[in-house]
Amino acid sequence: MLDLRLPSGLFFAITGILLMVYGVVDPSRAPLTAANVNLYAGSAMTAFGLILLLLARRGSKA
Amino acid sequence: MKLATIDYAILILYFSFVIGIGWKLKASVTTAGDFLTAGHKVPLWITSLAFLAANLGAQEVVGMCASGAKYGIMTAHFYWIGAVPAMLFVGVFMMPFYYGSRARSVPEYLKMRFDEKTRGLNAVAFAIMTLFSSGISMYALGRMFQLVLGWSFDASVILSAVIVLVYTYLGGLRSAIYNEVLQFFLIVIGFSPLSILAVQRAGGWSGLQHKLPDVMTHTWKYIGASNQNPMGVEAFGLFAGLGFVLSFGYWCTDFLVVQRAMAAENMSDARRTPLLAAFPKMIMPFIVIVPGIAALALTKSGGGYSLPMKGNGYDYDQALTTLMAQFYPSGMLGVGLTALMASFMSGMAGNVTAFNTVFTYDIYQGYIRPKASDTHYLMVGRITTVVGIALSIATAYLATQFNNIMDFLQLIFGFVNAPLFATFLLGMFWKRTTGHGAFFGLLTGTGAAAATYGLTLAEDKGGWITNLHSFPSTMAQNFWIAIAAWSVCFIVTIAVSMATTPKADSELRGLVYGLTDVPHETGVNWYQRPVPLALVVCASLVVLNLLFL
Repeated sequence: MLDLRLPSGLFFAITGILLMVYGVVDPSRAPLTAANVNLYAGSAMTAFGLILLLLARRGSKA
Repeated sequence: MKLATIDYAILILYFSFVIGIGWKLKASVTTAGDFLTAGHKVPLWITSLAFLAANLGAQEVVGMCASGAKYGIMTAHFYWIGAVPAMLFVGVFMMPFYYGSRARSVPEYLKMRFDEKTRGLNAVAFAIMTLFSSGISMYALGRMFQLVLGWSFDASVILSAVIVLVYTYLGGLRSAIYNEVLQFFLIVIGFSPLSILAVQRAGGWSGLQHKLPDVMTHTWKYIGASNQNPMGVEAFGLFAGLGFVLSFGYWCTDFLVVQRAMAAENMSDARRTPLLAAFPKMIMPFIVIVPGIAALALTKSGGGYSLPMKGNGYDYDQALTTLMAQFYPSGMLGVGLTALMASFMSGMAGNVTAFNTVFTYDIYQGYIRPKASDTHYLMVGRITTVVGIALSIATAYLATQFNNIMDFLQLIFGFVNAPLFATFLLGMFWKRTTGHGAFFGLLTGTGAAAATYGLTLAEDKGGWITNLHSFPSTMAQNFWIAIAAWSVCFIVTIAVSMATTPKADSELRGLVYGLTDVPHETGVNWYQRPVPLALVVCASLVVLNLLFL
């Protein structure tokens, strides 16, 4: 049966990378913060996605 | 709010994944049991997150943010006094009976424990309530996206309905559960940055304390009297109404959440499901309530952000979306909106799958065609999915005609869930309770709720019989309606049970305390056993309450 960690990990990894790239490429910021939200949130998301994928891979080997 | 291409891309990516998961699960759904109860094969980590997520609809996310702005951190009581203790109770004390009885739904448990008429009453009430809930989720989604993005109400409703229909038709309950977990991750990831950014801008927690009246940053300090806090509640009403009856009534008897625990692989996992869910539940206030408080602080101190106005007061329901517009750039904004869309859809899917199971097993198999084949019920389940979604859409349009339908639904929940909790307490822990007792207890309890509503007034609501007492807020009124309903049901159930014959002990095995074996787990670490887990959660609750006293 489908291991949910696989599609979840994939979704967050892809979205995270999309955000990170956008954060690097796009200079505009949100009105009330100078922080590069896309970059930070994107990296956290990508990390989370990769962890899920790793867990899924370990799960399927065991 | 304007969306950029990347925002749409993220939304579309999410929709494809959600449908893709449904598609992938289609192969593993071969029996009615698979479709309607996930075949008891769902791993613990998924059942516990789904247990939490099924309840975490957008009304909660948007509503808690709004309540944070309106009432302050006191709103956390809904979690720390309300939901979490109830989740502990259902996991430790009630799951053995739910799971051990092998009932496929809450009404079915009532039939086994009591009789057909009690089951029928609950099945019909639940079916109507849950469809209404689903429709209201759709309505709220349509309204929100119309207001915030200018999308057509019809398009949003139909689009979301079609997507939910596709993945629940393909994979049934399993699909709904898997997608709920994905939605939970998305909600945490989508809204945590908002909390962090808004609070940072307001100067941290101490900044919030300085910018706002003291009552907004304390949970217990102002609970002595109802005129001391903006919620208009005092300690007893809070404890008994919210803490006991309303929360326990919901988390312990509402099939929407109980269904997710019942889908676990064994009884221990079923018991642990609500307990594990309690951990993330405890920190939800920091994700959903705190941004609302920050929004108010920023408005009061001229931090560049202001809550929008509605009439003479703030439009609290818009707190979350206006915060997103100010703190999220394009990209993250897409994630935030997708998280919002996800939470609406998870509410819809959860309600439709619960409706499915109750209709197919309790109403159709119970009263319409009891002896058909499994394949037949699988087909009925699938058709019911389509019909359920169609009826939800109809309810969504009905809601456009009445502007306080959401309040109406809240009220109905109080009418139905509060007495039901008394019925379950007596049913599960006192073997003398009889079917007649349960049935009449439920009826009179609901009647008492209606009477309390009719005899009291709060913010112009209620009082259709006459006004005996005015409450300072609708919340206080709701608490007391729940207390009245529960108490009347409790007393009447006992009285009628004493006057009627109970079932023999042999018929009650596995259904009642004293006649059920709760297996003691061996070979499991102490921290994995239900009771120690529950105690850890309790200790954490005490710490949290002390921190924000």
